[in-house]
Amino acid sequence: MAARDIVAAVFCCIGTFFFIIGTTGLIRMPDLFTRLHPSTKCDTLGACSVILGMAVHNGWSWDLLKLVFIMCFLLLSSATCGHAIGRSALRRNIPYWKKKEETEDGHGA
Amino acid sequence: MKKVVALLFIVALAVLLLYVVANMPPMGDPENPTATHVISRYLERAEEETHTENVVTGVILNYRGYDTMGEVTVIFCALAGVLAVLGRERRGVIHAFVDRSEVPSSVIVKTMVRFVVPFIILFSVYTILHGETSPGGGFQGGAIIGGSMIIFTTIFGLYESSRRIPLKVRASLEGAAVMGFFLVGALGLLGGGNFLTYAWPRVARSLQPSLVVWLTVLVEVGVGLGGAMVLISILFAMIREEEEIAPAP
Repeated sequence: MAARDIVAAVFCCIGTFFFIIGTTGLIRMPDLFTRLHPSTKCDTLGACSVILGMAVHNGWSWDLLKLVFIMCFLLLSSATCGHAIGRSALRRNIPYWKKKEETEDGHGA
Repeated sequence: MKKVVALLFIVALAVLLLYVVANMPPMGDPENPTATHVISRYLERAEEETHTENVVTGVILNYRGYDTMGEVTVIFCALAGVLAVLGRERRGVIHAFVDRSEVPSSVIVKTMVRFVVPFIILFSVYTILHGETSPGGGFQGGAIIGGSMIIFTTIFGLYESSRRIPLKVRASLEGAAVMGFFLVGALGLLGGGNFLTYAWPRVARSLQPSLVVWLTVLVEVGVGLGGAMVLISILFAMIREEEEIAPAP
């Protein structure tokens, strides 16, 4: 029982870590595309690790099936969401961030 | 001058609010007015009196049935107000609605929405029908159906979604929440009780529990369907408005 609790706690800690990383990235990153990158990590790595931890903590029961379903729908919908935002932004020619000293052709000044 | 007046007003409001907050009963005190009157009876006897395992559902639909009926009427009135201002969507005019955004939605998004929306509706049906045993109920389930249709409409457009849920169906189901309450209330009168009493004196005592459960489920289904249709109708009316503001380029 104790070993299972430890594994669950480790998974939940990993999930929380990725949530913190993702949220920090969302605030700190300079433009839409770079913000999209960390914020999609929240749903996939963060939430799925937390759910995995809960599944380990829970053991074999019907609740496990529910958790698996939640994880599947979370993965599908979050990936689709990231794709839709990124594609829409790219097609609308939303300008992406460049370092100030960089010139147009991408080389450093 | 204007700023000074605004500042004075804000300060007066803040003082008033702080005064009220300071006079509020302390949080978590068992002597609070909220904890001394009816709440103990709800918690102790809700299960045997309303025959629902979920006390919240028992309070909302049984003890405070009149209150909830008023809320449902408010939702219906909201729809009536929106329709009075914006009007129904006219499919003849809107007929040419296609994806007019600069970026048409991709195949991935369309496939995902097609795949996920049935599951969302299934979940809302579960939420509505399971409302008297688990958290959830008519309002929540109706909101989930409305949300699923919002997703569908943003991706596939008004033409497709109003083809799935035509005006005829919506118009007859929009009042389902109010009608459900009135029906249950009237059935209570037929059973020999008062309006909206779930306990019927003329029915054998052994049948009472299942009777109460079925009447509660009837109200839940009515609230769920009515709420969903109200949300969808408001959404459709607002889409038409948007179309008229921004004509096709």
